[in-house]
Amino acid sequence: MTAMVLLAVAMVPTATCGAAPANDAELAARQTEVKKAFREQVTPFVKSYCISCHSNRKSKAGVNFESALKYPGDAGFAKHWKQAVTNVKVHDMPPEDADRQPTDDERGRFAEWIAQLKYLSPPDPGRFTLRRLNRMEYGNTLHDFLGVDPAVSREMPEEVLGEGFLNTFSPLQSEQYLRIANTVLERVLAPDGAPPTAVQQRLFGEPPAPGSDAREAARKVARSLARAAYRRPPSETEVDVLVAVFDLGRENQLSHAAALGLMLKSILVSPQFLYITPAGEPAPGSRIVPVDDHQLASRLSYLVWATMPDAELSALADSGTLHEPAMLQAQVKRLLLDGRSRALFDGFGAQWLGLGEIEGKTFDAAKFPMMTAAMRTAMYDEARLFFDSIVRDNRSVVGFVDSDYTFLNATLAPLYGLEKTVTGSAMRRVALADANRGGILGMPGILATTSFPTRTSPVKRGVWVLEQVLGEHVPPPPPNVPALEDRNEAKVATLTLRQRTELHRTDAVCASCHRVLDPIGFGLENFDAIGRWRDTDDSGGSIDASGELPGGKHFSAPKELKVLIAARQADVARNLTEKLLAYALCRQLEGYDEIVVDRLMETIAKDGYRMQTLITAIVTSYPFTQRRIQ
Amino acid sequence: MSSPHLISRRACLKGIGVALSLPLFDSMGWAEPEKKKAAKPPVRLGFMYMPHGVIMDQFWPASPETFLTAPPPALASLGPVLSQCLLMKGISGVPISPFNGAPHALELSTWLTARLPDADRRSQINIAISADQIAANYVGHLTSLPSLELATMPQTHKENQEGLNEGYYSHCSYRSATQAVPAETNPRSVLKRLFGMRDQTGGVGSSGQTTQANALDRKMLDLVLGGAKDLRRTLPRDDQHKLDEYLDSVRSVERRIAAIESRQKEAALEKAGVSASKRHAADSPPIEIKIPLGDKRSEYMQVMCDLNVLAFQTDTTRVSTYIGSTPNGVSYPELGFSDTHHSNTHHNHEAEKVRKVAAITAFNIEQFGYMIKRMQGIREGDGTLLDNCIMMWGSGLEDGNKHKRENLPFIVAGRGGGTLNTGRFLTNVRGNQGDLLTTLLGCAGVPLDRPIGIATKEITAMRATA
Repeated sequence: MTAMVLLAVAMVPTATCGAAPANDAELAARQTEVKKAFREQVTPFVKSYCISCHSNRKSKAGVNFESALKYPGDAGFAKHWKQAVTNVKVHDMPPEDADRQPTDDERGRFAEWIAQLKYLSPPDPGRFTLRRLNRMEYGNTLHDFLGVDPAVSREMPEEVLGEGFLNTFSPLQSEQYLRIANTVLERVLAPDGAPPTAVQQRLFGEPPAPGSDAREAARKVARSLARAAYRRPPSETEVDVLVAVFDLGRENQLSHAAALGLMLKSILVSPQFLYITPAGEPAPGSRIVPVDDHQLASRLSYLVWATMPDAELSALADSGTLHEPAMLQAQVKRLLLDGRSRALFDGFGAQWLGLGEIEGKTFDAAKFPMMTAAMRTAMYDEARLFFDSIVRDNRSVVGFVDSDYTFLNATLAPLYGLEKTVTGSAMRRVALADANRGGILGMPGILATTSFPTRTSPVKRGVWVLEQVLGEHVPPPPPNVPALEDRNEAKVATLTLRQRTELHRTDAVCASCHRVLDPIGFGLENFDAIGRWRDTDDSGGSIDASGELPGGKHFSAPKELKVLIAARQADVARNLTEKLLAYALCRQLEGYDEIVVDRLMETIAKDGYRMQTLITAIVTSYPFTQRRIQ
Repeated sequence: MSSPHLISRRACLKGIGVALSLPLFDSMGWAEPEKKKAAKPPVRLGFMYMPHGVIMDQFWPASPETFLTAPPPALASLGPVLSQCLLMKGISGVPISPFNGAPHALELSTWLTARLPDADRRSQINIAISADQIAANYVGHLTSLPSLELATMPQTHKENQEGLNEGYYSHCSYRSATQAVPAETNPRSVLKRLFGMRDQTGGVGSSGQTTQANALDRKMLDLVLGGAKDLRRTLPRDDQHKLDEYLDSVRSVERRIAAIESRQKEAALEKAGVSASKRHAADSPPIEIKIPLGDKRSEYMQVMCDLNVLAFQTDTTRVSTYIGSTPNGVSYPELGFSDTHHSNTHHNHEAEKVRKVAAITAFNIEQFGYMIKRMQGIREGDGTLLDNCIMMWGSGLEDGNKHKRENLPFIVAGRGGGTLNTGRFLTNVRGNQGDLLTTLLGCAGVPLDRPIGIATKEITAMRATA
């Protein structure tokens, strides 16, 4: 019983307690308040229930609240506090055999006060540690720099992008970079004796006239190549290194052009090319510095286009004006409207919506023979074009959930029952009359990735909507709990999937979470495991797509569920903002970031949660434009 | 007539689909730290992983006596090669508290590190150097490739159990506490990397180049490293650490090129009749590699096995790690069902699911068996390639149903150059996975400055008594 009550607390929309402080003065006042509450509320709670096992004398599981109580705002303890809240909420802590147990009310208040601790975090944009280009960025950059097919990077291992990006460098990668550099040079440079290629002419200019200073000419080429490849002006020392490579080539009997080729190869394997590096050294003693304009240009360009800054961005960085808010905003808009912004979907959108999995996911071939490569591509493209339309038309993020159009071709249309009206292999925009469709909840690619290979999974779909759309955290099932449907095979065989799934509610441990998760999944049961509409499920029983969300909100069909989810626009927007910010920063959000997001949400809400506003707010945000260096 | 190996190798590369011409290839001898008269084949160390554990009562032999005559169902496919295997029950995994909600993020990442990630920096990779990389650091400079990492699934799974970095889910090799090593999933790229072949698309691998071009690349990298060190001086400390990974990795490539250069020189001397090969005349020619065209899982897993065998046979590397599959949802349509490995492992003793998990386990062990049988079929020195290998197969969970880790399943195959006493089933060795790794590295002759992860001892019962 108690577990149910508390999990209900955990699942409440992530509303902030009161409005975010609008300015620093308000924040200071809030901090005083929080410190006071901390002393009067949190300290006694911890002293009564926690400290006997988690102190300097005895720190079980490595958790020590004695110091944490002394320094409430210290980021180092933030993880302990968060863990404490989770453990206290689900009655994991204090342990069952403890002398005293807090009341449910006390537990709830403890969680609320800990949530306020964010106001004590000192402003911190986080580090912007050197970041290696990921595989997609590396391929695109080679394309923009040297005109080669971006697929040249395909032999690099695939990797996680954005938050969770590994950013490591192994011998395998070094070898591959060297090998790819060799491949690229063979493609773009003419062999010795042959006339120079167009790319070669663009990169190396005219061969030096006989009698002129060839080394000086090489130096000039080095500077211009490095400016492009390093995405910032090179230092004189950096140019010296490149000239030394040129000299090495000449000493080894390479022609002038081939020695320049060796120099270009050295650029392609140098850290300045493979990583986004700052221009110049920070002032000694500084702790938080602005991201310099060249680094900012790269950060922005790699976020939206997954490639190096173009001429316009580079020129603005050179002139030192890119960081001005109006300029930065205008550039975000320009980049978003450019076709290259599909990278934002390929890198971020596909991951957010789970479409990255569709290509390789297994489907039962006998049951779903139509899940061909063409179908998977069409599903991916539908989501991509839909995402792109919301960005391009600057629509509200609510449009992701509730829209009246989508993108189809002849392959995909039969899943919508529109095979008569949509023909041809090209994807095109199609208006939808059926309100059950339109938006990500009724989109085949998403319904398919949240299914099992043979059937739907109301649980997976429910978790997906809560976590990916509403931004809630669903705790994993307690260990050692078997899947309910397996308990009595004979009995469940005749039940519909819904009836089987509802068995969760017979067990209090399961019910606490599943009564929130499952109804959402039930609401989507009219869509089969690849997203086709159906009125009966595999057992032959009719689909019952009715259910209730917390707060007594009732629905009886996917279209009604959709309306209820769309109404939570602040949650949808906050979730997307958090996920995109983490992707943009290539790290998990923590501590002060919560305050940053609170502030971003105010800006975004004022403009009706529009997508371009959301992205612009992220690009102009404190952690995107500043970095901590100590 | 003078180079039968080249001819057989050319023949073996047919059917790949790309026209490949062979580079001036290294001699087949083994580089040794010191010059010896009679070269003894080196010990190679390989690891192969299967996620999610096994059905315990179908994996463990009934008794030491019946181990060879009546093996348990999971091991049936190993057949005659069982006498080259060693099973030891009673090896516990790292206890995963405080990460109780992360059994699958930890099964693979703790497998070769035998320790837990840093709980205070969960979002970053922060664990420990893994056993394979410790070995690679010691013997890697002797071969053109310090170590080989293979997988059959992209390492891109996005799930951060307990707030742990996603990378933990699908990586088991770590070059340092903070550096996960990616694995290669494309057999064609692996083949190119191993033997640096020049193909018609113009790609040139470093060992496919002439000695002069290699030397020039190495000197060029030296200048780049110098430049990187200049850059390092201007950076804040965290960035410096990041750049150190780059420096380390480029240095390793320089060493690799140097190793290739010296092989090329040796080969030239041999060809000119100035020096003799260290190979025995009776040694088997390099095995054939056929890259499958379809998407059958068994064929995919086997071609990666073949590449592993070939890399060991040609002494291109002495350390390999092969992630047979990662814990993120592989399925086995070939076995007649398409639901995922993971969903079946939560079987709750339901007969049908238990049967499927057992079939998946037997399938994976069969692929491992395929690899060690190939090794046994290759003559090397006075024995077989397998005699000089230590091949560890295993999982990071005991039983996926309850995520238990008290009694992990492992098979060790090969005699490790005479250091391991195989053909036995040890019923209770009372050790942990760190002890096992420490033992195996000891058998491979890798000195350790400290035990691996939670290890406290070597499992001496595994060793052959001298």
